[in-house]
Amino acid sequence: MKNRHVFPFSAIVGQEKMKMALILNSINPKLGGVLIRGEKGTAKSTAVRSLAALLPEMDIVRDCRFRCDPKIPEKYCIDCQEKINKTGKLEKIKEKMAVVDLPINATEDRVVGTLDIEHTIQKGEKRFEPGILAEANRSILYVDEVNLLDDHIVDVLLDSAAMGINVVEREGISYTHPAEFILVGTMNPEEGELRPQLLDRFGLCVNISGITDPIMRVEIVKNWTSFEEDSQAIYKKWQPKDQELAEKILQAKALLPNVTISDEHLLRIANISIALDVDGHRSDLIMMKASKTMAAFNKRKTVETQDIDESIEVALAHRMRRRPFDDVNADPEAMQELIDKAMATKPNENNKI
Amino acid sequence: MKTTRYRPPVYPFTAIVGHDLLKLGLILNAVNPRLGGILIRGDKGTAKSTAVRALAGLLPDLDVVMGCHYNCDPSDISSLCPECSARFKAGEALPVEKAPIQIVDLPMNTTEDRLVGSIDIEQALCAGVKRFQPGLLAEANRSIIYIDEVNLLEDHLVDILLDTAVTGINIVQRESIKYIHPSRFILIATMNPEEGDIRPQLMDRFGFMVKINGLYEPNDRVEIIRRRECFDDNPNEFLEKWQKKQDALQKSIIKAQRFLGKVSITSEQISEIIQICMIHHVSGHRADIIMEKTARTMAAMDGRLNVNPGDIERAAQLALPHRTNNLKMQGQRQNQINQKPEYEKDRREYLDKGSMNQSLDKQTDVVEKHTQNENQPIDPTRPLVRSSQREISQAEITDEKGRNVSVVASEQVFEIGNIHRIPDPDIRFTRDNLKHRIGKKRTVTTTSNKTGRYVRSTSQRLNNDLAFDATLRAAAPYQRTRSRGDLAVKIMPHDIREKIRQKKIANLLLFVVDASGSMGTKLITETKGTILALLIEAYQKRDKVGMVAFKGQEAEVLLPPTNSVEMAKKLLEELPTGGKTPLGLGLLTSYQLIKNQLRQEPEILPLIVIITDGRANVGIYKEGYYEGTRFGEIYNEIYKVCHLYRNEEKIRTIVIDAEEKRIGSFNRAKKLAEALNAKYYLLADIISFNIIKTVKSEMASYRVQKLHRDH
Repeated sequence: MKNRHVFPFSAIVGQEKMKMALILNSINPKLGGVLIRGEKGTAKSTAVRSLAALLPEMDIVRDCRFRCDPKIPEKYCIDCQEKINKTGKLEKIKEKMAVVDLPINATEDRVVGTLDIEHTIQKGEKRFEPGILAEANRSILYVDEVNLLDDHIVDVLLDSAAMGINVVEREGISYTHPAEFILVGTMNPEEGELRPQLLDRFGLCVNISGITDPIMRVEIVKNWTSFEEDSQAIYKKWQPKDQELAEKILQAKALLPNVTISDEHLLRIANISIALDVDGHRSDLIMMKASKTMAAFNKRKTVETQDIDESIEVALAHRMRRRPFDDVNADPEAMQELIDKAMATKPNENNKI
Repeated sequence: MKTTRYRPPVYPFTAIVGHDLLKLGLILNAVNPRLGGILIRGDKGTAKSTAVRALAGLLPDLDVVMGCHYNCDPSDISSLCPECSARFKAGEALPVEKAPIQIVDLPMNTTEDRLVGSIDIEQALCAGVKRFQPGLLAEANRSIIYIDEVNLLEDHLVDILLDTAVTGINIVQRESIKYIHPSRFILIATMNPEEGDIRPQLMDRFGFMVKINGLYEPNDRVEIIRRRECFDDNPNEFLEKWQKKQDALQKSIIKAQRFLGKVSITSEQISEIIQICMIHHVSGHRADIIMEKTARTMAAMDGRLNVNPGDIERAAQLALPHRTNNLKMQGQRQNQINQKPEYEKDRREYLDKGSMNQSLDKQTDVVEKHTQNENQPIDPTRPLVRSSQREISQAEITDEKGRNVSVVASEQVFEIGNIHRIPDPDIRFTRDNLKHRIGKKRTVTTTSNKTGRYVRSTSQRLNNDLAFDATLRAAAPYQRTRSRGDLAVKIMPHDIREKIRQKKIANLLLFVVDASGSMGTKLITETKGTILALLIEAYQKRDKVGMVAFKGQEAEVLLPPTNSVEMAKKLLEELPTGGKTPLGLGLLTSYQLIKNQLRQEPEILPLIVIITDGRANVGIYKEGYYEGTRFGEIYNEIYKVCHLYRNEEKIRTIVIDAEEKRIGSFNRAKKLAEALNAKYYLLADIISFNIIKTVKSEMASYRVQKLHRDH
């Protein structure tokens, strides 16, 4: 297994929007994940896994069940807090970001964690056995077919996705631990829509479709067959490109804290949200974060209008208030029209700052 | 036993932009814990949860008995926990310490044992001592319980919360443990009404209700983004920056608490409050009392000794939104009932069935909500008819013997109960039948999959769905006397407990539409309108929808049961009409479809809406079809199919007659309805609005069985 390579990220043909959304999330995990809507067999799952493989290793506390970040003491889990109080020191190791799968048949106790049966039987004391949410801390939580997830699983997912913590009060166990994950979900809209509340939890949303260009399709088939025949060779072939991308992501990560955004641009973001009649303020924050990340990825220290404009569709399309039958896949042109109209009628406010 | 918990930094309360009424409501609750909590309704992403969690940083300290698990108040001897009370009686001095008011989270995954508390496993295993391990209700005594997404909380847990909220004590009778301790808490909850509403009974428990929306002033929004970004980037620095303001607010809260006792309110002002309540048709006295307290707390916060008109006004804004219009609405509803004897009759039927009493309660609630939503955007209120409620409560007290916690709270008893979880409406609710029900279920659902939310455990052995925690608790007290070998725990067969799971069950709404030529275009249009309206409802409730259309010589499954209402809508728009009427085939196809669906999802609740004029002229058998004058044969076939439906307990049908009635009408649809044992409605008679209501109430009465014991 170890020698088997994942399909190289750079070898994925097309699907630029999806790739961009994933890259942005890997630069800035606070973007709140991606929802990928599209047909089967459009490289959704491949893209997620290969991106995770390409990301640089991160620092984690050794033996920590929640992969705590040694650099952020205020977010230590209880174990790490105890350890540092006792020994005054935490060992750290480097590990890759994991992709944790949440299968749609998962039971609630496995998702949130439960009583450790083995330990209790053998030792006679209660212990918390971490679940999928614990595993996913500081990693990617990947939910294939997220729209088919059982309602009660969605409820617990919503609970922890919102606050970045998992509070467990079940089966005699009372436990709280960090659960900050990048939520990546895929769905085929033909099988039913997502509940609005869950839809809103995804920071970005991209709609993808199969590629219709014959030449590109040939390339896809070629890449994939050669990967299946000899994963080593194709890995080697694309390694430099993947490496380059990894470098770029790393640089963007370093640059991100220094990226600034002007009040004028923030006002633009606010006005866009108002123009498109989006529920709540999450959209503003996501748009701001997305444009900052975009600027960092383009090696700029200030956000420019184009960064904002590029983030509109991915950040807002799934948040626009709509009647039950309106398509989630909002028309970008219609959106632009609404924005233009709003901007035109509010010249004063735009000039004020 | 203050367990250390993982608590990430919280956003400071004072840094929240806007939402003044919400902030006021929260602060008032922090000053005066007797205000009854607050329910926050609002769109997603409007700082609902942020505001509540931020409150933690402001709450003043309490005087508690040192080491007490229940935060007992040393100055209030009457409500001490058993331990403190014993110490006090023994003449011991109760040492006092300061403890902060907690915000106790009640997450979606909570199980009953953690909420009420249960036996301490470790103590029992290691020391052989039966000891009570306090649950969340203990932790929350004199503190705050916070429920995010309260509308998604399991009914059973809501029952327990309501119980405790009424009495202020938690009575535990489980796992050979008997324990009573004080549990007075402030209930704070947030919800997004998009995902469904909460029970009126629960709604009424909240002192305040605040509805919040996003802010629409661009500069405010910019400020929000700025602050949030600062906090996300460097929480400590941000907290430091706001510390001064936080401290100032906390100080004024503490000051107001001291001041509160001195604030006076004139009797004129009290009668003004009562008048306001009466103008707004608020029933019950809770609103009056809360408004009075609120006004005084507000004055205390301002440092005034007297209540002023502004205080009363704000108090009304907070305390009345979820209580107004009761009488008016009830009056209107009463009228509706008088006009619609049919509805009343249905209710009677349910009442007579007895087993459905809880579901009736629910049904009326749901219907009520609809009527309200139609008339007024104000929130749902109390249940409908008083007298019927009393019948319900009577029935339920007798049925409630099996519950773990038997409670004597008189008024609220009728709301508590699990009866609506019984999926079989036909079984009468006597003791004998209760056993019968369980026996029956066992044979039916041995293959039942172990899905759903684990809420509770039972000692009945049903399907090997082991509830390990409960088993362990049952076995724990006996460990000292059992030989255990190398293991820490020896479990005997009679210790074994199984999980009771609950799962929301979706409706399957299958439209069987006559698309033949005999249905006029006008009828088709009207039918489409009706279906569309029902589809929207289905979308919001996340029900499944399917559609079968029959015309010419075939019946076609236009839409296999799906969650995608969008697809249903597209298909509906394209639905072509014309040709002959193979009614029998339409019914048969639908029957097979439903049967298949039930095989896949045994829990689904199918409701078939047949829209037809009942005229059939194409038969099923013999080389696919035949037509002509052999009406007798055609109808014989149809009745045979109808028989299939009647033998199927789970399938419920509605026939909507689309025939234009005049002298000499055939009334075939009516006969069809009789043959199907279906509810019958006239399309021409009732405007589409009413069909929608009809189907909705039909679905509602069905939906109350959604909570289903999965064993």
